[in-house]
Amino acid sequence: MVFLGSQVLPGSVALSILGPEADPRSVELLNHQLGVDRPLLVQWFGWIWHFLHGDMGLSYVHQAPVSPMVMQALGYSLKLAAVALLLVVPLGIVGGVVAALKVNRPLDRIISLGGLSATVLPEFVSGIILILVLGIWLHWLPISAAWPNGADPLTQIYYLVLPSLPLVLVLFGYISRMARAGMIEAVESDYTRTAVLKGLTWGQVVWRHVLRNALLPTVTVVVTQAGYLMGGLVVIETLFRYPGIGSLIFTAATQKDFPILESGVFVVGTIFTMTTFLADLSYSVLNPRIRMGTGQ
Amino acid sequence: MPRNSDLLSSLRSRLTPLENHLIDGYVDGRVNRREFLRHGSVLGLSLPLLGRLSLAAGLGAVPTMARAGVQPGATIRVGCATPVSMDPVRLGSPGGVLLVMQVGEFLCINEPDRVLSPCLATSWKPNQDGTVWTFVLRKGVKFHSGGEMKADDVVATFDRLADPNSASPALSAFRGILQKGATRKLDDYTIEFHLDSPIGNFPYLVSSDNYNTVILPASYAGDFETTWDGTGPFKIEKFDRRRGASFVPFEDYWGPKTLPARTEFVFYDDIQPQILALQGGQIDVINTASALDSVALMNDPAIDILAIKSSGHMSIHMRCDIEPFNDPRIRRAVALCIDREKLVKGLMKGQAIIGNDSPFAPIYPSTDPTVPQRMRDVAQAKELMKAAGMEKGFQAKITLPKQSELPAYAQLVQAWVKEIGIDLQLQVLDWKSYAGDAKYGSSPWLDVPMGMMTWGNRGVPNVYLASSLMSTGTWNSAHFKNEQFDTLTKGYIAALDLEAQRATAGKIQRLMLEETPGVYAYFWSYLSPVKKGVVGVKPNAMGQLFLQGAGKA
Repeated sequence: MVFLGSQVLPGSVALSILGPEADPRSVELLNHQLGVDRPLLVQWFGWIWHFLHGDMGLSYVHQAPVSPMVMQALGYSLKLAAVALLLVVPLGIVGGVVAALKVNRPLDRIISLGGLSATVLPEFVSGIILILVLGIWLHWLPISAAWPNGADPLTQIYYLVLPSLPLVLVLFGYISRMARAGMIEAVESDYTRTAVLKGLTWGQVVWRHVLRNALLPTVTVVVTQAGYLMGGLVVIETLFRYPGIGSLIFTAATQKDFPILESGVFVVGTIFTMTTFLADLSYSVLNPRIRMGTGQ
Repeated sequence: MPRNSDLLSSLRSRLTPLENHLIDGYVDGRVNRREFLRHGSVLGLSLPLLGRLSLAAGLGAVPTMARAGVQPGATIRVGCATPVSMDPVRLGSPGGVLLVMQVGEFLCINEPDRVLSPCLATSWKPNQDGTVWTFVLRKGVKFHSGGEMKADDVVATFDRLADPNSASPALSAFRGILQKGATRKLDDYTIEFHLDSPIGNFPYLVSSDNYNTVILPASYAGDFETTWDGTGPFKIEKFDRRRGASFVPFEDYWGPKTLPARTEFVFYDDIQPQILALQGGQIDVINTASALDSVALMNDPAIDILAIKSSGHMSIHMRCDIEPFNDPRIRRAVALCIDREKLVKGLMKGQAIIGNDSPFAPIYPSTDPTVPQRMRDVAQAKELMKAAGMEKGFQAKITLPKQSELPAYAQLVQAWVKEIGIDLQLQVLDWKSYAGDAKYGSSPWLDVPMGMMTWGNRGVPNVYLASSLMSTGTWNSAHFKNEQFDTLTKGYIAALDLEAQRATAGKIQRLMLEETPGVYAYFWSYLSPVKKGVVGVKPNAMGQLFLQGAGKA
């Protein structure tokens, strides 16, 4: 589907390489030399045959192996996703818990409304505002995510904070809403009432009984968002000049560089499937009823 | 300043009749100093000789490029577009052009002031009719890999580019002019180009203007991204296809000492992050930005904007072979509606010069300045519409790519032509959809009744004339077929003498005003925003940056 979809996009590989002022005969010749004028099925089966043998092929545009490009981009995306999750998960859960414990009070409204508003704010808008405020006016954070060569892990994290913030804004509302809903449901449940009645402090009740049950759906949401963080950050990667896999796939699509496009989509799809599987797995680990149900 | 007739005669005695005719024009005032320097450089006269001739003629000295006030040892950080391919033979992306010319060099360079200066060639001369051009190569030039650059390398470079199987963009300029095998070695330091037909401005085709003509070793095997082997002032330090590249000085460089300790090129996929990075201090230079993009920087006291006048333009073409634009009166009426002054002052923020509906930009020495300038005249436009039987107006559609200021320009045109009854609908496409296959029949650009196009700077207008306006042109989007124009263009391209070029250019300009296959309302300036305190950065209008003299003030 990806391959066929890419065929309807305008332009050609040769035009991407040679530029708009190339002679049409040169464009035609280069397309022929690259083999992109072969029948679609021949191109697709050729790629799939190599892929099944562990070879992602050569990039049409760069004439270099695709595998290192995809793996390097994947590494970058994993780092950005990790930093974004490290920031947003605690914030989202704490925000949701606090909102649930103060339900229908001003703090709950501020967290809920603020979170939802931030979620609908497009990343390129929040990104530019954050760059202007934190990068250009206050000079607190570097505005590009590209750290210097040989930077240690802490420096890399420092460079990733600003690009992570728009993602935090997008995900905070989502995660906090799930945590809030789970908390309210758990607080109102019979086992919570029982725990209170048997004399536990409110803190003990929340920590031992409420949170464990309340956060089950939140965990699922967090894990599935990892898929979005891996492949869906084209805007953030462009704005912060970050060489992740989202922009790699996007560029490959615009240049009709099919081997990179197919390989990139395959890798992101695999990660998405794996994270979904992990979400299911974690749900069953956290919820004994699911495990028992599976056993039956 | 008094004339030194003896010295002038002595200097002239060694020159050809063609060169002496140029000096006659300069002395008699038919050719100004800028034109004298520029065309003198095309004929292969060196800048020092042109300076001595100017002094001897009592017309003052010529300007020289100074390096004063530049502190060596700086790291210069440049923001640029992500390159697509790095192979000089197939180079076509702005980012790739910029990077390759950091390590590679050309026979001659089209300088920011549009004078051709010697680089790997020290001098050049045409034969009497301009069909054979002889270039003398610089001695002692080393490739980064260690070998000396000689005639074999230059011959191999041009044979490679002129080979129809190379698929090089340079073929756009060489097809029908320079064949494979027509670049011949006379000795290790002299070569000849034997052309298919006379070309008066041929040195531009082997200069930085034709960016694929970077001189590569004869042994080049298409592996530039690995070897980065050139003769330039910088050698590669590190290259990451998606993040950036860095360069350090090449110790055995033949030219003046390279001042920066290091240059870094940071790749971006969009202009907005580059502007933010410049304002945030993470880069020192943006390679190129349009006037609209630069608005935020124009009033920033921490930023200087280097502006180079160019022949780059946005053309509006009208199909001369289909209704309603097959009537030249309608085309002229459209052109008369355009308010060129407002375009330059408003849309282009003053960073452009007014055009006169031909690709002869005012910066070309050959442009005939006596041709009357077309200005906005709605009353005359209405008369033309009436004469063409279209006084009630008509509906039409203009198709354009979403590039730079084009959509805003199209909206202004839409409002202006409404005054004469033309209801113009806008269709904005992304660039790739608009270009299609760049062939007739499968490209909106070449097929629509009315469209717009961006044309980059060229040192001479040959490509604009031959490719976009001649009957046989590859990109003749107006489908303009005019025998007189074709004949005049061939004559213009062949002419060696500046005054002969200007005379033919004048005829072409007048013919184009009459026929108006398109609107050429302005020629933009090439803008490079630079952080204050960074000096010696030398951009040209081809998107190239010469950084060997750059540093901090």
